[in-house]
Amino acid sequence: MKTILTIARKEFELALRSVTSYIVFVLFLVISGVFFATTVFKVGLAEMRGVYGFMHLLFVFFVPAITMGSIAKERGSGTMELLSTMPIRLSHVIWGKILAAFLQIKTLIAFSVIYFVIMLVLGEGMDIGAAIMGFVGLCFAGAAYAAIGVFASSLPSSQVLAFIIAFAISALFYVMRFLLVLLPLPLVRVFQYFSFEHHLANFMKGVLDIKDLLFFVAVIVIFALLAEFNLQSKNMMQER
Amino acid sequence: MIEIKSLSRNFGEIRAVDDISFTVDKGMITGFLGPNGAGKTTTLRMMVGYLQPSSGSILLDGMSIFEQPMVASAKIGYLPEHNPLYEEMYVVEALKYMADLRKMSKAGYTARKAYVVAKCGLQDVQYQKIGTLSKGYRQRVGLAQAILHDPEILILDEPTSGLDPNQIIEIRELIRSLGKEKTVILSSHILQEVQATCDRVLIINKGKIIVDDGIAQLDNYLAEYYLLHLELEGENIDLSEFVDYYPEVSVIEEEHEGDIYKLKLKVSAGIEVKHDLARFIAENGWVILSLYTERKSLEEIFHKLTKEAGSIELAAYAQTLSVPDQEPMEAPAVLPVEDNAEDIETDSEAREEEAR
Repeated sequence: MKTILTIARKEFELALRSVTSYIVFVLFLVISGVFFATTVFKVGLAEMRGVYGFMHLLFVFFVPAITMGSIAKERGSGTMELLSTMPIRLSHVIWGKILAAFLQIKTLIAFSVIYFVIMLVLGEGMDIGAAIMGFVGLCFAGAAYAAIGVFASSLPSSQVLAFIIAFAISALFYVMRFLLVLLPLPLVRVFQYFSFEHHLANFMKGVLDIKDLLFFVAVIVIFALLAEFNLQSKNMMQER
Repeated sequence: MIEIKSLSRNFGEIRAVDDISFTVDKGMITGFLGPNGAGKTTTLRMMVGYLQPSSGSILLDGMSIFEQPMVASAKIGYLPEHNPLYEEMYVVEALKYMADLRKMSKAGYTARKAYVVAKCGLQDVQYQKIGTLSKGYRQRVGLAQAILHDPEILILDEPTSGLDPNQIIEIRELIRSLGKEKTVILSSHILQEVQATCDRVLIINKGKIIVDDGIAQLDNYLAEYYLLHLELEGENIDLSEFVDYYPEVSVIEEEHEGDIYKLKLKVSAGIEVKHDLARFIAENGWVILSLYTERKSLEEIFHKLTKEAGSIELAAYAQTLSVPDQEPMEAPAVLPVEDNAEDIETDSEAREEEAR
């Protein structure tokens, strides 16, 4: 556990020092801010659901950008060799990376507190519980995307490829909702469980369902295990 | 102590390490020598547990690195081949990170950090970013990282590459002082380096160990003779009487300008004639201006060894073609062994120049 925290802290500190993460932060906040402004001031709805939903969409683009370097960079620069000869477990490295990415995402969405405050001041009869639960749901979805991103980053040693793979997997989970229309009814029941949107919807309403919680936890654990398995098999069969 | 038993590793079709066995004792520095692509790095990577061997076993103080990785890897300090480091981190920060990953105590870290920074000469750069450091300083940071936790076993892959001559001397001294209590194994393709640092040498070529011996012995039994360079002053200098007395000695070069004579003597290995020679010269009333011994360098020995391995293959090659024995000597360019030998030569020459 201590190792995970050590790795996560180092990753997070380095991320806060790099220009790239500030560019990512600014872009994310500008885009979501524009969206917030339109829903609130034009439509006049005193709820966070719109902006949270939009942030969820942005995750598909931004989380892969945050996680793409996590393992690919270590492998590219060779520091993975150093890490794998330390008395630490591979899973510690992966969980540390996921935790670091999650902390970044949390920092990112923590800025949405400003929107919440604006809403409190200007709006009337706002469902505060739904707003808080929506934030929690978004955190879980963000962590799931982070796990997907770290897994994708463990596949190639190039960051660009890692980004594309993470984007593809994340997008699949995101667009699942829109694909459901095309499926026959019995399949819809099954596949809607894989849609992030479907599970987030409950959070947005202010409902905490153990099913949704379990879904996100399962996604995180599965992708963390896949990443570990992938790295282990690479080490076993490594070619020059 | 490191015990390696019939270790092999394949990369697809290529057999990088081919059934090697050796033991490295505590308090000894072992040099792992070989041309590029001989299997040095592959062997070291297996020793630290980064690569899985195809077959064979590695025991570090009686423990397998693959069965007890957490305990075994805590004993190892490792400097990888290209010395990968976190470029964005500051030197002290990177050291702290390594210490944290190795679960060192705060007090232990503070003490060791001071020692390591002083020993590796990092005082001036400890608050700089690693990415801004020169190659020599990066190498020192790599070494500092490897010895930070005071490991029992130190595995260094080309520790002095990229250092300037003064730094090389410092690092060699550091390695030697560490070697007194620890098990040290270092790889190199520079023979002088191994000669200057190690107690024992393992020469590996094409994944096989071809020599395993102490440094001194190696020099002795492989070199058939050594040369004595003499510069003398006197009239009508003639060493034939001395040479007749010692059948192992012969004059191979002689030239003189007035009273200054320059001679080159060839002496069989294991024979010490300097005292007698000096006495003989003094008795004749001549003056010695200079006298020095030229021993065959490891370079030549190495060259010879790899060539010998090549000539065996040449013979086999000749047989398959069923041509007379003399013939194949003209065909070495086709064979990879010869190419290898050339590589080593140019490579080490380049290294030497760099060192100068």
